[in-house]
Amino acid sequence: MAITIQPYRPEHEPAVEEFNRRLQAASDPNLVFYKTSAPQWLPKLADCPLYNEYFVAVDAGIVRGAYALKHERVFVPGEGEIAVACYHHPLSEGIVNRTYAAVGALMVRDALLRQPLLYALGMGGYDHPLPKMLKALGSSLALLPFFFKIVHPSRFLKEMQALRTSALRRILMDMGAATGLGWLVFRGAQNAKRARWPRPLLRSTGVDVSRVPEFSDWADPLWLRGREQYRMAAVRDSATLRRLYPAADRHFTRLRIQRNETDIGWAVVGERRKDSKYGSMRVGSIVDCWASPEDAMAVIEAATRELEAQEVDLIVSNQSHLAWGHALERCGFFKGPSNFIFAVSKKYAEALHPFAENSRAFHITRADGDGLPRNF
Amino acid sequence: MTASTLQQVRSIASDIFGVPADKIGAESSPETIENWDSMQHLNLVLAIEEKFGVQLEPEDIEQMKNIGAVAALVERLKSAAR
Repeated sequence: MAITIQPYRPEHEPAVEEFNRRLQAASDPNLVFYKTSAPQWLPKLADCPLYNEYFVAVDAGIVRGAYALKHERVFVPGEGEIAVACYHHPLSEGIVNRTYAAVGALMVRDALLRQPLLYALGMGGYDHPLPKMLKALGSSLALLPFFFKIVHPSRFLKEMQALRTSALRRILMDMGAATGLGWLVFRGAQNAKRARWPRPLLRSTGVDVSRVPEFSDWADPLWLRGREQYRMAAVRDSATLRRLYPAADRHFTRLRIQRNETDIGWAVVGERRKDSKYGSMRVGSIVDCWASPEDAMAVIEAATRELEAQEVDLIVSNQSHLAWGHALERCGFFKGPSNFIFAVSKKYAEALHPFAENSRAFHITRADGDGLPRNF
Repeated sequence: MTASTLQQVRSIASDIFGVPADKIGAESSPETIENWDSMQHLNLVLAIEEKFGVQLEPEDIEQMKNIGAVAALVERLKSAAR
């Protein structure tokens, strides 16, 4: 019997549990597909274009692979709103048993048949299997910038495990933390960055920032006004924002930014899940944001101040657009090594043509793709 | 399958897996070729499609369990196309 790829239904749940057990036993304990067939995050709702759908690769009743599609709409000037899907969480038995090497190829080609305008986001770097597979299938790829700001240099030096990779480094970083030299060096570097541009205080420019419990209709004119200024952006109207950041989710802080009592943008910030590479540091993230590019600075400044007030040790953000990147740097962020890849199928790349040139004019943040439940 | 088709498929596999063609036989499979993983399986699919001008369906991809099966598949698709 051939392997068939079909929607994940309740009757598949025991087989998925067995699949997960085989993957975890032979490989990484974090390799698990969703235990329940009904998505907990963004389930399908009537008349809502933003939802997840799960699929399983079944071989005589045994699950040998699974993947998810996050269906959504993006706005491309000249094309209007178009339906796309994010390919995420692909897992194949081929990872642990090469007898099933075909499953990965079967799944990605199946996803492309279901939604030719397909993308993937993140993926850990160009040398990982998924970006390689997508590239082989003719996808266009772009590496999206990563930025970080050290709020507490001593904590950073003591806890940033990704940098403490040798005995010598650990000694030097501990000394920097203990003597205060690290603080001086980082603050000096951040100040030098900020000094390159004038940095007005928010208040002196008439900007007011308020925390809001949820997004409502005030966000719609912002979306409509701003969307034509990006070469592509996932729809961020109020209905979508309420789905992504429901009021009941207290994990995120939602900021409304106004200038002279007129809405100019918003931001969503939050603390990331604990990650061993950050040690015991509290890592805040500018998760999502929106404004016309000329107002990016005010929004980034507001988001940064909020996270600093929350006493995080480090702030991180992924922002694809040049204006947002510049805003981050003006606020004392550094650009770091990125493994955050945006890959689009051939058909999707046609709508975004010329892809490479336009990639710095897309509006993509950490909230796009499957970033929200994965990281927060 | 013809000897010619098998030889062509072995040559393609040799390029993809980085194994000398004379070390690849009809029985060579993901279990016996170290580099035959998911990524290389996809590369094999794409290379077969390009070389022989065929379009592989999902059931075809799944049948590619060893080099001999790939060659037999190619023969079948070429015959169907005539």
